[in-house]
Amino acid sequence: MDRIAIIDGIRTPFCKMGTLFNDLSAQDLGTIAARELIERSGVDVKAIDEVIFGNVGQPPDAANISRIIALTAGIPKTTPAFTVHRNCASGLESVATAALKIQGGESLCILAGGTESMSNIPFFLTKELQEIITKLNRAKTVAEKIQAVLALRPRHLTPRIGLNLGLTDPVCGLNMGQTAEVLAKEFGITRQQQDEFALVSHQRAIAARDVLKEEIVPVIPGPKYNKAVEFDNGPRENQTMEALAKLKPIFDKYSGTVTAGNSSQVTDGAVALLVASERRAKDLGLEPLGYLRAFAFAGVEPQRMGIGPAHAIPKVLKKVGLALEQMQVVEINEAFAAQVLAVSRALESPQFAKEFGYEGFTGRIEPHILNVNGGAIALGHPVGASGARLILSTLKQMKRKNLNLGLVSLCVGGGQGAAAVLERS
Amino acid sequence: MSIFFRKDNNIGYIEFDNPDAKVNILTGEVLKRLDAILDEVRERTDLKAVVILSKKKDVFIAGADIKEIEGITEPADAVAKSKFGQDIFNKLEDLSMPTIAVIDGVALGGGCELVLACRWRLATFNEKVRIGLPEVNLGILPGFGGTYRMPRVVGLERAVRLITTCKILSSSEALKFGLVDRLLPQAGLGDSLQRFIEEIPSQRRPALKKKTLQQRFLEDTFLGRYIFFWEARRATRAVAKGFYPAPMKVLDVLEATYGQPREQVLALERKGFSELVLTDVCKNLIKVFYLSEKYKKLSGPDAENVVARNVEKAAVLGAGVMGGGIAQLLSAQGMSVRLKDVNFDAIGKGLKAARKVFDQAVAKKKMNAAEARLRMAQITGTLDYSGFNKVDLVIEAVVENIEIKKKVFLELSRVASPQAILATNTSALSVTEMAQAAREPSRVVGLHFFNPVHRMPLVEIVKTPFTSKETLVTALALVKRLGKTPVIVKDVCGFLVNRVLLGYLNEAGRMLEEGASVTQIDNTITAFGLPMGPFALTDEVGTDVGIKVLHVLHSGLGERFKPVEIFEKVHQAGFLGKKSGKGFYLHGRSRSPNPQVASMIVVKKRRPFSAPEALERMMLLMVNEAARCLEEKVVDEAAAVDVGMIMGTGFPPFRGGLLRYADHLGIDKVVERLSHFEETLSGERFRPCGLLLDLKNKGTNFYAA
Repeated sequence: MDRIAIIDGIRTPFCKMGTLFNDLSAQDLGTIAARELIERSGVDVKAIDEVIFGNVGQPPDAANISRIIALTAGIPKTTPAFTVHRNCASGLESVATAALKIQGGESLCILAGGTESMSNIPFFLTKELQEIITKLNRAKTVAEKIQAVLALRPRHLTPRIGLNLGLTDPVCGLNMGQTAEVLAKEFGITRQQQDEFALVSHQRAIAARDVLKEEIVPVIPGPKYNKAVEFDNGPRENQTMEALAKLKPIFDKYSGTVTAGNSSQVTDGAVALLVASERRAKDLGLEPLGYLRAFAFAGVEPQRMGIGPAHAIPKVLKKVGLALEQMQVVEINEAFAAQVLAVSRALESPQFAKEFGYEGFTGRIEPHILNVNGGAIALGHPVGASGARLILSTLKQMKRKNLNLGLVSLCVGGGQGAAAVLERS
Repeated sequence: MSIFFRKDNNIGYIEFDNPDAKVNILTGEVLKRLDAILDEVRERTDLKAVVILSKKKDVFIAGADIKEIEGITEPADAVAKSKFGQDIFNKLEDLSMPTIAVIDGVALGGGCELVLACRWRLATFNEKVRIGLPEVNLGILPGFGGTYRMPRVVGLERAVRLITTCKILSSSEALKFGLVDRLLPQAGLGDSLQRFIEEIPSQRRPALKKKTLQQRFLEDTFLGRYIFFWEARRATRAVAKGFYPAPMKVLDVLEATYGQPREQVLALERKGFSELVLTDVCKNLIKVFYLSEKYKKLSGPDAENVVARNVEKAAVLGAGVMGGGIAQLLSAQGMSVRLKDVNFDAIGKGLKAARKVFDQAVAKKKMNAAEARLRMAQITGTLDYSGFNKVDLVIEAVVENIEIKKKVFLELSRVASPQAILATNTSALSVTEMAQAAREPSRVVGLHFFNPVHRMPLVEIVKTPFTSKETLVTALALVKRLGKTPVIVKDVCGFLVNRVLLGYLNEAGRMLEEGASVTQIDNTITAFGLPMGPFALTDEVGTDVGIKVLHVLHSGLGERFKPVEIFEKVHQAGFLGKKSGKGFYLHGRSRSPNPQVASMIVVKKRRPFSAPEALERMMLLMVNEAARCLEEKVVDEAAAVDVGMIMGTGFPPFRGGLLRYADHLGIDKVVERLSHFEETLSGERFRPCGLLLDLKNKGTNFYAA
């Protein structure tokens, strides 16, 4: 069967929430990545059959954000677009959906990707205030108006913060950090181990600055256009263990180990990838960066959502009949250091493999091939975009090092895992 | 016949359909026929309503016949012509049955006055609908009852705005103004019209849009009106600067006739019209109107069968003031633009400049915010040539250095799409040399935009001997699509506008060195009617840009363009003009002459300052240079010079243009004064060129020749 080619990709720098991209919306970021990808790849926009972006925040002023990105990026109005949402794996989901559409014969070439502006996730009114305003609008007489306003209490004015709502699991009631605490305690992962992992992430990201430039389009953020942002602003050059040790646990004040320092950063950014069938790529005269061999999703308990990759990875490897040891580069999204370490331990455990029937598809992931250019702890985790970034970064790394097989995986809020196998030859 | 009457189902239809043109015009003939139809309609008792409409696509009635207006030579004739129209529209207004105008396109001037005389005005949602009274632009006032009916329909304050500033309304704006009663969809227009007619009896004629308290004070009280007209006069004076009598006359008529009975108002309107229509200003404005209409529609010489290529994607090299401005202009017309420069700081500046223009458009409600965001997203910055393989057009606006430009064109030949038009925005360098550096010289053309790009209406299209017809036709189509007026010029040093203008700037500098002051000279020029004087203009453009162009002209055209010392000095002192805050003026919150410049001037030969003489020197030098341009066939007719100078430099339209002005002076006088200056100032630059002497000998002038 025709393979799924990833022709090329580009991303914006990833910038911490409330910093350099504060004035750019998720649709702005997505448009910038999409436009630049079109320009650099040289693809004729008329050859793009569909646009699929992943996005979690779903900005209220950008319903079906993919369509907005498509139109703003200069893709013909006749080309359809839709948006996918699989929480932290939305970016990967866009590529998975693209692959299914291509394999199903519905499309030949798809612009996929992910975008997120966590700076612009809105605050919400309380339900009480909402009702008061509704009543006020419906009131016909002055008396009714006064009556409506009199119901107002100061507590009604406290906004509900959209970002917090999004990061809290409505089924188990835990927020994402708390689910990481669950794993840290279950696997006995110490604060020291988490901080060491975080430190490596920063060190690798800093060392890879010039390498990562290859996948980044510099962005000059309006409305001031004063300075071009050329690098991710999350990685800290002088990160030390001492500095990490000083941070207080935020999700469990008394016995917790998860801190802001060993968790992913809340970040803005977008990624665009051009996906096509192998034959279509050839017809268009485009040299693919690599191929998507297979992908898999798995479900886990919402309160242990971080363990998702430990299930999705063996699942996808089983699909393609490859062993974990054959993977030459591995990316596991660093939602939390505790969670990545828990995944590694689970995969190393023969008991785990036996329990779930994963024998032959688990094993040890050597730290030197895991997240080689740093991960979300340093670079940040714009939730809708990260999945697409992992694919982009891994393929670029494979190309640089001339490697053939790569594995990417993410844990997914709500209790899922996502994984994909990439190849180049 | 261009106007018909038919009856259908007890409804009378008066249909305008000019068989000879794409538009309907109220010529004397048409008015006469309308008069006859109205006489007939008036006597009929079987008509429930009378509908007036146009069979032309996107045009209701474009206006009165300008040729007839131009032909008026006697005040009595003017009064009679005005009264003729007024009487017919009175007849229309006085019909006993309801009259309904259906406006599905342009209804300007007389066309607008006609609909004002109808009892009901309906417009369609057609975006080509334009309603307004632009008479003041031609130096006259609405002479068919517009000054009587407009204030009564939309209110005094709005009427003043519409007539004195010639504001043209879209259909939705017209509805907001109360100028039309209802908007109808174009599809099924007949049916909705039918329904409207059936509803009429049950409907009350809506009075004017409800006035705000402020409007009621300003319009309905004696004191309010006094204040209102005082302020309106002040605002009008600030714009018209005493050069344009029409808007002031409109205010006079409106003030004197407020609340007066119809016949008195119309009598005063006729009188005002007859006074204005005979002025030189009016005659010149009409001539300029013809010129600009002609050049707005300019097509390439013998290129009827050549089709312009569609431009969807463009690239701009250099994100400076010009590059950023051009990128904005292209993207505003829906093209996506790749903006290349050597670093992101430069690109950021270009984006910022473009954003500023879009923000202004949004603030003025000329564009909605969503569109502005889209247009901004269409401009992407790059440091390399990525994406250039897909462009239809490249405009380079890099630094004015011929070697760099040649290199750019060589590179573009390699990287740009093989179909792309390659254009340069150079203001003075040789486009031919650039073309020769390109692999295919036939695709190279000059597109000289003026600064600020979004405001200046002129683009000089520079044609080299290699430029293909297709390239030229595509360039023309592009310039028109951008809403600019093209002038095609031959590739000689400085092209047209800069060449004519820079001698004048240099002459102004020379007069500084004879002891005149910056303000004396600038005031002389603004009193003549230009929007700014030579030194204010130099500051606006930048002294660095000015001196650079002067150097190019000096080496290309000879000694008469040798920059006077003061320009060199001011530039060397780092006084770059407005952009650096200091030039010939200090540009702070208010503008004042830069005292440091005064101290730099070395007066060589002091001459007493005389404004008329200064004006003559500057103007005649321009006339002489423009005549040389004609002689060298830089442009093919005097009209091109005048369009170029009016659109490119703001040469006052009420003077009719530079060469029209020279014709008014008389070629004899021009030659005589030039020779006089040549002698007394020992200035070879004043020696009348061959064409001038030729015109003089033949006893003809620029436009008659």
